[in-house]
Amino acid sequence: METIFAYLPPRTDPLADGAPPGLRTAIQPCLSVAGWPTDAGAPALADYAALEDATVVSRLRQAGATLVGLTRTGEFGFGLTGSQAGMAVRSGAADLELVVDLAGESRLAAARAGIWGFKPSWGTVSRFGVIGLIPSMECCGILAGDAPPIGEFLRAAAGPDERDFSLPDEEAPDLSGGRVAAGETTVGVVVEALDALPSPAREAFRASLATLTAAGFALREVSLPDFPLFALVHQIVGAVEASSSAGRYDSVRYGRRSPGAKNWNEMYLLSRGAAFGTLLKSYLFQGAYFQFEAYEAYENACRIRARLLAAMAAATSQADFLVLPATNPAAPAKAATPEDIYAQSRFTAFANVTGQPALYLPPPSGEDRPGWQLTGPRRSDARLLAAGEHLRGILQGGE
Amino acid sequence: MEFEAVIGLEIHIELNCPTKMFCDCPNDPGAAPNANTCPICLWFPGAIPQFSQAALEKAALLCLALGGELQPRSAFDQKVYYYPDLPKGYQLSQAHHPLSRGGGIDIADEDGARKRLRIHHIHMEEDVAKLVHELEGRTPISLVDFNRAGAPLVEIVTEPDLRTPHHAMEFLKVLRTQGRYAGASECSMENGTMRVDANISVRPRGTEQMNTKVEVKNMNSIRHVGDAIAYEIGRQSAAVQAGEAVVLHTRLWDPDKKATFPMRAKFEGPCIPDPAAPVIELSPAWIETMRSRLPEMPAPRAERFVSRYGLAGEEATYLSADPELAAYFEALIEAGIAPRTAMHWLTTQLAPALKDRGRELGNSPVTPRRLAALLHLLSRDEINAQAAREVLAALFESDADPEEIVRSRGFRQVSDRDALGELIDKVLEANQTAVNDYRNGQDKAMGFIIGQVMQASRGKANPKIIREILATKLTSGR
Repeated sequence: METIFAYLPPRTDPLADGAPPGLRTAIQPCLSVAGWPTDAGAPALADYAALEDATVVSRLRQAGATLVGLTRTGEFGFGLTGSQAGMAVRSGAADLELVVDLAGESRLAAARAGIWGFKPSWGTVSRFGVIGLIPSMECCGILAGDAPPIGEFLRAAAGPDERDFSLPDEEAPDLSGGRVAAGETTVGVVVEALDALPSPAREAFRASLATLTAAGFALREVSLPDFPLFALVHQIVGAVEASSSAGRYDSVRYGRRSPGAKNWNEMYLLSRGAAFGTLLKSYLFQGAYFQFEAYEAYENACRIRARLLAAMAAATSQADFLVLPATNPAAPAKAATPEDIYAQSRFTAFANVTGQPALYLPPPSGEDRPGWQLTGPRRSDARLLAAGEHLRGILQGGE
Repeated sequence: MEFEAVIGLEIHIELNCPTKMFCDCPNDPGAAPNANTCPICLWFPGAIPQFSQAALEKAALLCLALGGELQPRSAFDQKVYYYPDLPKGYQLSQAHHPLSRGGGIDIADEDGARKRLRIHHIHMEEDVAKLVHELEGRTPISLVDFNRAGAPLVEIVTEPDLRTPHHAMEFLKVLRTQGRYAGASECSMENGTMRVDANISVRPRGTEQMNTKVEVKNMNSIRHVGDAIAYEIGRQSAAVQAGEAVVLHTRLWDPDKKATFPMRAKFEGPCIPDPAAPVIELSPAWIETMRSRLPEMPAPRAERFVSRYGLAGEEATYLSADPELAAYFEALIEAGIAPRTAMHWLTTQLAPALKDRGRELGNSPVTPRRLAALLHLLSRDEINAQAAREVLAALFESDADPEEIVRSRGFRQVSDRDALGELIDKVLEANQTAVNDYRNGQDKAMGFIIGQVMQASRGKANPKIIREILATKLTSGR
């Protein structure tokens, strides 16, 4: 347990009398749990205990969930290095895990653990209490062994939150799901995403799609020529937002203050120098570079982001949902630099750039075939989950 | 060579909202240090700014009062720099998409001619914390008070239309009036709710070039703004004449030395769109609702005071500059006091009396109703002007009605001709020299005699009747 959890509470929350046992939920310490050491895995927040629950946490508690502990994570949940995301579910210690999804971490962790991973649409789940880095792209990601706990989470936690003014001014998404029938459903295959896979992974992925055709789905090739730009735009905009977000860690109001400074300027340098690990520092430097030295490149990235959103909207309109690979076999297993993280996130970062939902569907256990990443337009979360459940049935030979 | 200055102002105004701009903390920087703070304004992990509707409304009212055009869409940016007074490492400010564009202020220039000074834009931003540098023993320490962090501000940026210190001072006076009328801010430079930076450059008169500017800060009254600009124009003109180049920098006004001195260069960071603060979208209907909430503004009010009440232009401008004073004036008129009497008593009696007692019109115990009652007693000749002044003083001490004070303190004027005649006879008898002087043609002796009669009546005699009786008694022997 110690390898998976960074913190286990002295005793689990007592259940209300007569209430059915709720979801056992493991939390990545990037989500605030009142009184728990939600330090986001960062030296910047060593010894920090959250003052309040994140909205997703308090809503899960209200729905009867039991918080089992805080999982180990790399700094601010960025990338999977140092992260045990997915292992609590995989080991059976939890039914549900909450992580922060900055560039695809929920889907990549799910692929690593062979479980389900889901990134909701941006703006459907409150970010209040999420200790993040990239406000316009991050959201709470969900890991589970199956679809129902994810649906349960969404029903409990999604919807407007008066404490998150950054949520779009719109109604709660329709979470009733909807039926997915093979004969009436078109699956779009993003050509350029497949092209970006090295051989033989590309062939293996194409081959896996035969299951869909066999089940009666119509397959349609969908073109997104700028697909490689998603990760690039993510890196520029994400690094800038991270640089700003990390500006608060100055040791003035909280966080560990490095000793020996003769004035506040030195205190800043010493404390901030000790607050971040090497990988994160590189990322923050990249962001500061675009902020201070190459602002035009950042503006261009924002413009390209708008274009990519339009291109993705056009792509999703051509099919009921899209299917892509999730993991990049060419990426290093452990990330030492931001570039390594972006290599790992090559196929997942797009959903953070656009704010659309994305689901990682693992292959049936014991089968040597690639998992699928499914995605659809923003706010199609329930439908995407329903599609995932339907496909899982097909993959397991049930339907 | 004769120089002229090109001046632009950047004015920060603190809005008088009950709460801060992005959280519910009281907007009260004067409270005990760090009493008014929360996880949002201290920017704890997981906090998300919650934009204040009240701040938006006050800012919008101010923009409309200055003739600005509220933008359908505005947004906050992060002004990035690292300083302990900045909890986020950036200040939320509308750098790229301001709340309002355009607008301006009309002033009277040195020759009394109307001059339009244009406003470039008005944007909202949050204030920063206050730093206090102290010694702990021999160790210098820095303390931060976050009460002010997140307080709602607007910044007004003018076009470089100003040419003289007079323009700047008049602009600020009108701006202060408009801000008070809009109910958005006290706009007091002395209290720090209005802070002014001036950008100044000089050029040979008659040319159109824009030369390198110098920013001057740290003026804490409108007078100081004028002084600082005048000093800076002189300094730059002399420098240019001596062949020195003016370099872009910031200077601080030292009110004691009456001079500006260069300050350490401030680091100017980038401004990037903030992903967390909400984008502000204003509908035409909302803007019209705000416009309808503005009261009658000072310029049209002054015009009305001239046409309806027959005040002089200057008097009308003076009264209408302060919304409370103008409302007080109209309350007196509504209570039946003649406009000239109301104007006279407000400016020469009540205003100094308030000032002496360190009070404001808003919390004055002398309400329009009580002052009107007093002025009615005066106009009915029941008391004389001297007594009226004493009753006014008494109104500050007790909450009794003026009638009651007149009755209980015996202020009622003596107008009984027989009684006054006897009194006057005694005074004349006791002051034969003055009587002789007057009869020998020294008119000013009359004033002395009237004074003696007033004194003998302990201030209660009706001066009009004294004059009449004296005129009869003295001219008979002249």
